[in-house]
Amino acid sequence: MFKKSLWKKAVISGLAVSLMLTMTACGTPNQPAGTSKVESDYPNKPITVLQGFAAGGGSDQLAMLTGPYLQKELGNTLVNQYIPGATGAIAWTQLTKQTAADGYTLSITNTPMLMTNYLMNTEIKYTIDELTPIANVVTDPGILVVSKDSPFKTYQDYINYVKANPGQLTIANSGTGGDDFFTILQWQKATGLSVKMIPFTGDGPSWQAAAGNKVQASSTNLGVVYSQVKAGNLRALAIYSEKRSDLLPDVPTAKELGVDLVAGSSRGYSAPKGIPENAKKKLIDSFTAIAKDPAFLKGLQDAALPIDLKVGDEYAKYLKDQETEFKSIWDSVNDTIQK
Amino acid sequence: MNDIMMGLLNVVSPFNLLVIAAGTGLGIFVGAMPGLSATMAIALLLPITFGMDPASGISMLASLYLGAMYGGSISAILLRTPGTPAAAATVLDGYPMAQQGRAGKALGVSLTASLIGGIISSIALLTIAPALGKVALSFGPVELFAIAVLGITIIGSLSSGSPIKGILSGVVGLMIALVGMDPISGTPRFTFGQIYLFNGISFIIALIGLFSIPQALRLVEKDDGLQKVASSIKDKMLPTFKELKSMTVTMLRSSVIGVFTGLIPGTGGDTACWFGYNEAKRFSKEKEKFGTGHPEGVAAAEAANNAVVGGALIPTITLGIPGSAATAVLLGGLMVHGIMPGPTLMTEHSLITYTLIWAVMLANIFMFLEGLVLTRAAVSVTKIPNKVIAPVIVILCVIGSFTINNSIVDVFVMFTFGIIGYFMDKINIPTAPMVVGMILGMMLDNSMNQSLLMSDGSWMIFLRTPVSAILLLIALISVLQATPLFGFIKNRFKKTTI
Repeated sequence: MFKKSLWKKAVISGLAVSLMLTMTACGTPNQPAGTSKVESDYPNKPITVLQGFAAGGGSDQLAMLTGPYLQKELGNTLVNQYIPGATGAIAWTQLTKQTAADGYTLSITNTPMLMTNYLMNTEIKYTIDELTPIANVVTDPGILVVSKDSPFKTYQDYINYVKANPGQLTIANSGTGGDDFFTILQWQKATGLSVKMIPFTGDGPSWQAAAGNKVQASSTNLGVVYSQVKAGNLRALAIYSEKRSDLLPDVPTAKELGVDLVAGSSRGYSAPKGIPENAKKKLIDSFTAIAKDPAFLKGLQDAALPIDLKVGDEYAKYLKDQETEFKSIWDSVNDTIQK
Repeated sequence: MNDIMMGLLNVVSPFNLLVIAAGTGLGIFVGAMPGLSATMAIALLLPITFGMDPASGISMLASLYLGAMYGGSISAILLRTPGTPAAAATVLDGYPMAQQGRAGKALGVSLTASLIGGIISSIALLTIAPALGKVALSFGPVELFAIAVLGITIIGSLSSGSPIKGILSGVVGLMIALVGMDPISGTPRFTFGQIYLFNGISFIIALIGLFSIPQALRLVEKDDGLQKVASSIKDKMLPTFKELKSMTVTMLRSSVIGVFTGLIPGTGGDTACWFGYNEAKRFSKEKEKFGTGHPEGVAAAEAANNAVVGGALIPTITLGIPGSAATAVLLGGLMVHGIMPGPTLMTEHSLITYTLIWAVMLANIFMFLEGLVLTRAAVSVTKIPNKVIAPVIVILCVIGSFTINNSIVDVFVMFTFGIIGYFMDKINIPTAPMVVGMILGMMLDNSMNQSLLMSDGSWMIFLRTPVSAILLLIALISVLQATPLFGFIKNRFKKTTI
């Protein structure tokens, strides 16, 4: 009899542990919707950070690196809540449509997916006008890479081949509608040349296809392939940033090579529209402060993520400009893609 | 060589041993809970490891991954509800064994097979990782398509009884995999304007529903007669030497399959267990015994899914390419520790890397020891009355399906599949082929379209690379094996030789 009750206890305690695990997984529930009254002591409770992508991805990496410093500045904890799906659209729809604008729920906002989601699919209803952009933290510039055994030694070799074989060169991107997809479209528009775009399911499979000579090139991001380029598995031909990267000073920018193209993927934080002014100010001040912290900057540097701080209205304008640009690109290619 | 020994010394420090033991134990527990997956547990535990030094932290997460691969089989055998997708194939023979009163033996076989699979993959990781790492890069869309085709032929061998019903189930699974955003054009398919369907229907959620809910209903329907059989461990848990000997070939074969499936990015334990099971059946002299409680079936699936761990870590540490979803989260963890995952892991961070490899090796032993203790306790689950265990299964299903994406929609999807699964069971349509169809459907669709884009629509691309041509040939043989034609030729051949 004693033995039996012991087993029962074991089973019950096991269940309790599983429930605890689940609670942690769920994070804190959303704040109840209601009036956003002005609080002078913001933040006086934990802040939820919605993530539109699974744990372990690029957004999570930013959250893990930024979180500890941001918590110290804000004086309260940040709770990550992962709501992956529809390229972030489920989390962003929740942020804009179902979340109280009290400053206690933020989301990591990734461009260009934040805009291209609704530009490409009418089923996705939110727009950036329903957000209060707080701060952009990093911009990972686009980069053109080829396998180490590729015949393309320089960008010139590459472009010569594309010119000689229009529409034949296979180039991988991280997925239709992603940043690299648009980067290639922008490159085609800027150069007037055409390549054969092959979409993959993420940045990893995209560069791996190039490294394994399954495709002839990959358009991806610096942070993604930095260690591979450094180790010599991939060769970088051009980088789509304003100026050369400190990490790879030998790689020329597209601008130097005569292509007017600056592209990449940015990750920052946004809140729902209409959060209290003091909350917005506190958040912006906190981001400005951590961007001066050498330890934080070192963390980003180690992860090969170039900092690109844009706060408040500057970030809002950046998003708006990008929206206009992506809309025009998408409208011009939409017809050809759908065929 | 020096680094290898340093890693070993590092791993046997008391703190690291404690961390590995804790990680493995937690992994077994998480694995046994339907819906709580290794990937999720690693993501949850990640912040806790930030306070540790990177080698200990990553070792803990890797041992959790390994533990979970075994843990999944406990609930698969005892409750017919796979704890992780990687244990889905274990249900096929594990649960019938439990019904026959051989639950202890089934768990013992599973534990032994897991140990062997794990050790073999750890040895591969320690010795030939750099050579095998390159294999990961040789798998592009064309090769992945061939793997998916080969995988689909498994459906044939899973449909014991009526092949037509099995194929029906498999095809429905393939069709469900088409729901969601078209990977090539970005256009939503069969989503009915619901953004919750844009990513498609997760096979993990469907799997929880298809296997667990019908089982909960069955338990309520039946009286308590059934579980009394399962609860008594009369026979010895660990397989005898003779039994072990008869399964050695199967376990070795499954281990190799597991290492390679782990190695290939995009395929993990959920695929490996089916491949392992299928090949064991193909080469077995007693094919008809599979699915009726044959220990070899359990051994085949379990050796394969534990061998995945070492296999998936090979490209992770040699190239910075995650071989599976769980190792992708591990890589994220390394980044937070300030270590850029990539080819430099083996050179610049060799101490951490070798500590990790030894940790995986040791975690196998901890898994075996902890498994022996835990399993004895776990069998007593079947002593709990059906009327209690059935609602508990349902609760676990709800929790599990919710936590995957923090989405209540997923809970409804899970219940929908549960109801479908219940009626499929009533009319004797097997659910396993449907799961295989869903797992492989997305890969098949995506890789086929990518390949055809590259080749301008020419199907010859699949025969031009040797790897895919060979895999497709094996697939063709598998299909022919199932038709009367093959038996006819075989008979003719026999007659002429005699």
